Amino acid sequence: MTSPTNATSHDGRVMIRLEELTKKFPGQKQNAVDSLTLDIPEGDIVVLVGPSGCGKTTTMKMMNRIIEPSSGRIILDGEDVTSSDPDQLRRRIGYVIQQIGLFPHQSIGENVGTVPKLLGWDSKRISTRVDELLEMVNMEPSQFRNRYPKQLSGGQKQRVGVARALGADPDVMLMDEPFGAIDPITRDRLQNEFLRLQSEVRKTIVFVTHDIDEAIKMGDRIAILQDGSHIAQYDTPEQILTAPANDFVADFIGKGASLKRLNLSRVADIGLKQLPTVQLGTDREGVMAALRQTELSAVLVLDGEGRPLRWVGAEDLQRGGGRPLDELGLAPEAAVEARATLSDALNELITARYSITIVVDSRGVYQGVVDIDQINDAIRTMRSTAVAKARESLTDDSMAEQGRLP
Amino acid sequence: MTSAAEARKHDKDQVVSTPARTSRRTLTGYLALPVILAAVCLAMYLWISSLELDSIEARSLNASSLAIATWEHVQLTAVSTVITLLIAVPAGIILTRPFTGRVRPYLLTLLNLGQAVPTIAILVLLAVAWLFLGFQAAIVGLVLYAIVPVLLNTMVGLEQVDDSILEAARGMGYSKMGALRKIELPLSVPIILAGVRTALIINVGTATLAAYINAGGLGEIIVAGLSTNRVTVQIVGAALTAVLALLIDYIAGLAEDMLRPEGL
Repeated sequence: MTSPTNATSHDGRVMIRLEELTKKFPGQKQNAVDSLTLDIPEGDIVVLVGPSGCGKTTTMKMMNRIIEPSSGRIILDGEDVTSSDPDQLRRRIGYVIQQIGLFPHQSIGENVGTVPKLLGWDSKRISTRVDELLEMVNMEPSQFRNRYPKQLSGGQKQRVGVARALGADPDVMLMDEPFGAIDPITRDRLQNEFLRLQSEVRKTIVFVTHDIDEAIKMGDRIAILQDGSHIAQYDTPEQILTAPANDFVADFIGKGASLKRLNLSRVADIGLKQLPTVQLGTDREGVMAALRQTELSAVLVLDGEGRPLRWVGAEDLQRGGGRPLDELGLAPEAAVEARATLSDALNELITARYSITIVVDSRGVYQGVVDIDQINDAIRTMRSTAVAKARESLTDDSMAEQGRLP
Repeated sequence: MTSAAEARKHDKDQVVSTPARTSRRTLTGYLALPVILAAVCLAMYLWISSLELDSIEARSLNASSLAIATWEHVQLTAVSTVITLLIAVPAGIILTRPFTGRVRPYLLTLLNLGQAVPTIAILVLLAVAWLFLGFQAAIVGLVLYAIVPVLLNTMVGLEQVDDSILEAARGMGYSKMGALRKIELPLSVPIILAGVRTALIINVGTATLAAYINAGGLGEIIVAGLSTNRVTVQIVGAALTAVLALLIDYIAGLAEDMLRPEGL
């Protein structure tokens, strides 16, 4: 049996294994899902992505048997669940759908406590768990527990949906376009919140989307699917962006793969550049000395706490006469935190006055700067690593994996 | 599209439902109707008391015969409605389950045809063909007529539950029965109740016809007034029927308000 996960970067324990899983709907000529074999490693977010009608949702819904497979096997945590009791199976698997499907006649607390109640927990344990979950998704329990779904905004409903899916602390969560029906700004925030939550709970997550950008952002690994759920490529986002396995994948990623790749590295991952800075209150000679050392036409003035205050150039000094440094020059607008992506940094850089993005820590204290050369270097490094990796896996697996890619 | 989908669309056209009320009524709103109805009864009493009744009128228009007729009418309405619910709600549930998908369109056509036959025809048929008279025969006629609105509202109530809500319920491990009991039925309560209210109104009105097969009720007062050509008697019989109908509708409205799940 071929296993498409040989290129795994993790310890390799498989949480969900699909074996030659096939679904043929009555009255359709082609299989919706055609003999799909896929391993989902424990603790990862695996994104199934592909054009509409490729079978990605059907594939996901077979994992909790909302759709019963026509043939093949589903193995969950080493146990064959292809023909076990579906209701019991589903209580072990969190489930979030695009429309969320909160129960409108039940309070938020009751909604979140659904699975624990089905599992027969006592009411005290359920209410403790409900409060814990609501806090986990940043919703104050005392404020929201007794409200009804219609009193919540779309983003709040989505959070409740996630909390409800985590109800009985399942090992596995299935998410079907969970952020699809939410406005872009809220979606971005919820995605970030969800990634933070995932870094705490470390669930095995199968995530379906048609949006490659969301896949790149959310996925530890991405399976790009073609018609019939045939795997076009199953790999990390970095590898997919830098070494697309075939034309289908390249087309699907679309233009701007390099820009997308910038979403994958953080400012903290690349070395920051240091430029001369001056403290507020430095005298004219001190500032002139710093200006002579720097490659820019201005130096950054920091306040007593080390936070960026002004860009001050030689002209500003002359024109300003004896005025203090914080009244001269320009305010520094482009600043990002170290955990921002290179894409964020580049975005700031383009609009910034000196083509430089200032990097600060969470309290706003100056850490260093990023310029275009560093971003360039980062892209180049990423590409060469990815190409090397792709070559390596090609030679390693070429014997066993000949049938892997269509 | 399939014929089942068309049939479903067809059902929705026929839903009898009360207008959606967003907020519950105020106390004054709750009290207004009973006060008006009491005033009507009082006015009627004062009017009749002021008249010189002849012996034929006096036979119908006295406290005990009016009370008996009203009580019989309430019984006819209540018993027929309860039996209607016992038949129509479970039938509605069964007809929305996937396994009945094939027979559904045919059965609904049959039921709609059945509703086109007037109750009086059913009563006469029962009486003439089988000499089936009295209270029980009247109940059969009333139930046959009231089943359709309750059945259709039950089906529509269950079908309007959002598929995504049901998918979420099943996806979290509710069994089919559990999802029906905890999710589908509570969410269809407002629409089912609207059907029940319709059945009550139909029954309270149609029960007047039961007088023709000797089943009692306020119809007897009206029929007596008609056959003896006493307008006063006709008016009292008709007015009492109207008051009773409005009162029962009012009580059904209260029940709807109280039984509607919170959060809807």
